[in-house]
Amino acid sequence: MEHLFEAFGAVFNPLSAALVIVGTVFGMICGTLPGVSTSLAIILCLPFTYTMDPASAVVLLISVYVGGACGGSIAAILIKTPGTPEAVATTFDGYPMARKGDVGKALGLAVTASSFGTIFSAAVMLVAAPLLAKIALTFQSAEYFGLGLLGLSCITSISAKDEAKAFLSVILGLLISTVGIDTIDGTERFTFGEPFLLNGINYIPVMIGAFAVAEVIRNIEEYRLRDTTKTVGTVSIKLMKFAEMLRMWATFVKASIIGVVVGIIPAAGGSISSLIAYGEAARSNKNDPIPFGEGNPRGIIAPEAANNAGVGGSLVPTMVLGIPGSPVTAVIMAAFIIVGLRPGPLLLRDQPVLLNTIFLGLIFSALLLFLGGRFVTQQFGHILKLPYPLLAPLIIVLGLVGAYSLENSIYAVFVMFIFGLIGYLFDKFQYSNPALILGLILGELVENSLRKQIIIADGSFSGFFERPVSLVILIIVLLIFAWPMIARLTGIGSPRGKKG
Amino acid sequence: MRAELIFNAFVGFFLSFLLFNALMLPGSDNPSDLLGAGGFPTVLCILGLVVLAFITLRVLRYQKAIHVPLFDARSVDGRAAALSVLLLLAYILVLDIIGFILGTLLYLPIAAWLIGYRSPVRVAIYTIAATVVVTTVFGILFLVPLPRGIGQLRELSYLIY
Repeated sequence: MEHLFEAFGAVFNPLSAALVIVGTVFGMICGTLPGVSTSLAIILCLPFTYTMDPASAVVLLISVYVGGACGGSIAAILIKTPGTPEAVATTFDGYPMARKGDVGKALGLAVTASSFGTIFSAAVMLVAAPLLAKIALTFQSAEYFGLGLLGLSCITSISAKDEAKAFLSVILGLLISTVGIDTIDGTERFTFGEPFLLNGINYIPVMIGAFAVAEVIRNIEEYRLRDTTKTVGTVSIKLMKFAEMLRMWATFVKASIIGVVVGIIPAAGGSISSLIAYGEAARSNKNDPIPFGEGNPRGIIAPEAANNAGVGGSLVPTMVLGIPGSPVTAVIMAAFIIVGLRPGPLLLRDQPVLLNTIFLGLIFSALLLFLGGRFVTQQFGHILKLPYPLLAPLIIVLGLVGAYSLENSIYAVFVMFIFGLIGYLFDKFQYSNPALILGLILGELVENSLRKQIIIADGSFSGFFERPVSLVILIIVLLIFAWPMIARLTGIGSPRGKKG
Repeated sequence: MRAELIFNAFVGFFLSFLLFNALMLPGSDNPSDLLGAGGFPTVLCILGLVVLAFITLRVLRYQKAIHVPLFDARSVDGRAAALSVLLLLAYILVLDIIGFILGTLLYLPIAAWLIGYRSPVRVAIYTIAATVVVTTVFGILFLVPLPRGIGQLRELSYLIY
């Protein structure tokens, strides 16, 4: 308790408050810009921390991390181009809601959910950080495989239009993820002698193409048919009311738990947690009046809460065990070392105040997301005032910068272009772009963990069923995939089933 | 229906091509690695071809017409979309030659005109402002790599970003 009070003093003082505001706003701006990652934002802040005391440096960097995690949703909602990979799932319902004219509401839901997720993860971490870190380290290939399948099970909820086409889309995504050097035995797969394919096909240009470029092509087709006399007013966040939050408490809590748990697991990441949380929200609320994918509020809340809950989660193994689980936490860990802190098991013993400072910093930053969010969204909201013939090319240019900056290569831009056309055709023929991206994101995790586990078990599949956590995850996955069939056979979930 | 069948044929060709290549991949030296480098993609290709066959049969059965304006040269909006796509391709092709600034200064006004915006003064102001803002924010402030072009243009770009 004494350490907590000390940390309280370190965080809630005028200097820290200023740093939190600056960090959160800066993180949000960077998160909003495609091509400017959260890790880059933190790197850009590093020089300012050299002369700071450790607590102030920690507070600044954590604020940038929190702001960046939330900022990705702004571009996802406004222009269907996720600012960060973690905001992929937010586009599914965020953009449709914005297109219906509820931009402010969509942004408000994203900011509220992000704040809730961050505070939730900070509270959980404050209580159970060391224990959770130890549990996370028991995860092996079998559990990672289960986690990948759990992510893939989202397709049962995100692609209701045509299940067969969604299934084929996810297969195509998984196949594309196999392009490049096989990480297990170094074999070149489907590279056809092209050096740019050796590292595989990055999902960010694919995502920008399939979502943003395809959407621009579609909108150009419909431009003359639209009423272009309406102009968008000032975009401002409409925050959720407390009663509204209470009504959706289950979505908030479930998504945050998913975010924390997946965040703690090294290398799992925010993209996976937000997809799993989205899938879970869609599964649990199938009878909502607004279908998922058409602007359902829970479709924004779930991925955003999970994504930001992952911030606290990912800091646990970094701080407690000295194992950074993602590029962002690796940069944060490097920054901590620069300011004289040694993340690892001894940190808790030697610097007990620091852990509390980090988590209080998270809470403070989450509270200030509202302020930062209002400012940033208002600035970026001006983009929507442009007439569409001016907005469309700008979206393309922003997407192009995002794709090019990944590898400083024009090939990534070609990938964006090709998947723009594929995404357009997918949409016309009712295939599923989200399912394609889902397969591409999770492909490597699923294949590698499957093969690694088989190798560990000396060519046997038994390892997946002998490990309790893996077995539980696989049973859940099986139930999720089999549930539509069970529901059809038993009548549960159908109108007739309900009456009966 | 025809458009969807052509699309499915392309997907089928893609899957068959990958399947052929996956089957050609060498097996693993490790006897415990049952799948090897080609196992996972092979399973996926076969599964994909089965699902594609099911989808194609359904397309043939229900014969639903789907209009794809992008490939319809007779429709005005389809033409605008098709020309915009071609312009984007041209923009990408010349980016590594003429650089980001010049490429964007050319792309933005032509794209706006193709979509149907006909106010030269506004387009000119917008083009210059957008190019300056994007170059400053990404290239100068955030040090994001942008295409530089070749020759003199490349040298010039180093003076800006």
